[in-house]
Amino acid sequence: MSSTVSEKELATLWFLAARAMAVADGGTSITRQGAGGLYAQAILGLSEEVCAEAKSDDSLATLTLLDCLSMLAHVPAEVGEKIMTGVMMIAYSDRSMHPLEVRWASMLASALSMSVDDFQRCCVNARVISGMLGTHASVEQTSESSDSPDSGPEPSA
Amino acid sequence: MSHKPATNFGFLDRCDPRVAHLARQAEHYVHTDPDSCLFKLRLMIELMAKRLTTMSLPNLLHSDLSTMLGALERDGTLPRRQADGMHAIRRDGNAAVHGNSTPSPTAMRRLRDAHTLSGWYARNVVRGAKVDPGTFSPPVPPRGTSDEESVVNEKIEALEDRIEDRRRQTRESLLLFREDEDPDGVSRRYRIELKALEMVAIAAGEPLIDAEFVALVMAMDLEALYEHPAFGMDTREARRIAEQQLAQVKHELETSEQNYLQERAELVQEMQMLKRRQLRGEV
Repeated sequence: MSSTVSEKELATLWFLAARAMAVADGGTSITRQGAGGLYAQAILGLSEEVCAEAKSDDSLATLTLLDCLSMLAHVPAEVGEKIMTGVMMIAYSDRSMHPLEVRWASMLASALSMSVDDFQRCCVNARVISGMLGTHASVEQTSESSDSPDSGPEPSA
Repeated sequence: MSHKPATNFGFLDRCDPRVAHLARQAEHYVHTDPDSCLFKLRLMIELMAKRLTTMSLPNLLHSDLSTMLGALERDGTLPRRQADGMHAIRRDGNAAVHGNSTPSPTAMRRLRDAHTLSGWYARNVVRGAKVDPGTFSPPVPPRGTSDEESVVNEKIEALEDRIEDRRRQTRESLLLFREDEDPDGVSRRYRIELKALEMVAIAAGEPLIDAEFVALVMAMDLEALYEHPAFGMDTREARRIAEQQLAQVKHELETSEQNYLQERAELVQEMQMLKRRQLRGEV
């Protein structure tokens, strides 16, 4: 197992795993998209530039989910847990779980050689984070908590 | 003989007279009092959002504007492009309310956004109605613009271009799919792969995650999770770390927005100094 993973590799892995979970129920909801994008920057610590680069890279279009699973087998356990937590957070964001989502989560857990305890920890943390990020589905809401014109100084224009 | 229409928003009279009235007032102030123009535009989109919320999400009617717009976007009522336009007006309107000076070119951009939004709004609130917003015709300034003023205006336009570009990039980076991608096409591709992988997994007897545990966690109250004997401590720690990380991202976004406001304020000041020199006959 590799001890490090570059930011670019992590971004590619994240977008593959997250997109698959985001569409597994047949939709492409803005809530899931927003939560997934925000997770990449806030929790995985990926920069805006790397996120944009990973999505515009042709390799993302050519890599398959099987590639994603084989790449995941080589990431450090700590990184794998973060990816698993984020993917489960996306699945939780609409408070239901489709059979294909269950299957994708199972395949990711197998690829990451995750124990039951590790998976359960990811699952619980995902539930907490989905409550935090699910309401910030757009950049506007990420940068502001409230915008009542008479509620005090505007936090971010 | 052709003549310019007195207003760009006449088409709104039939579908929403209050919104139409605010739009006309915003048009009236765009050159003489850009701050007031933005107050009116912000109120205008708040009325629009309330009407759309009444139609699709009535339980959120008393929420603040940002929350209403976010919910309308998630609900699918408000497309991304329209949401961007409304948020731009909301942000600049809020900045004006809180004493940040607005340059006239900025107000003109938001007025143009409001015109585009109004056409979409009218078509959505009066379904089946024939709506023709026409081409936006920028209100003419009450007096000509000097060469020196044009130079400052060009700087303001360049700054507004940068702000819009930056906001678009930030928004793009915060989504899973690019704006120019076909999410339905990508979704189909992934679902075909997922189904194929599922068949292979079933044939190979691959185990599934504990779906009952997943469902239980999903159904649990967050407070119950924080107090859970096995997961409580980890969960509280995860929340603390996630809150810190989210706060960091918010801080970075807020800082860049504050920097834009500062740059705008400096350009407004430059324009005001130029006008004072003009009044004194020094230019």
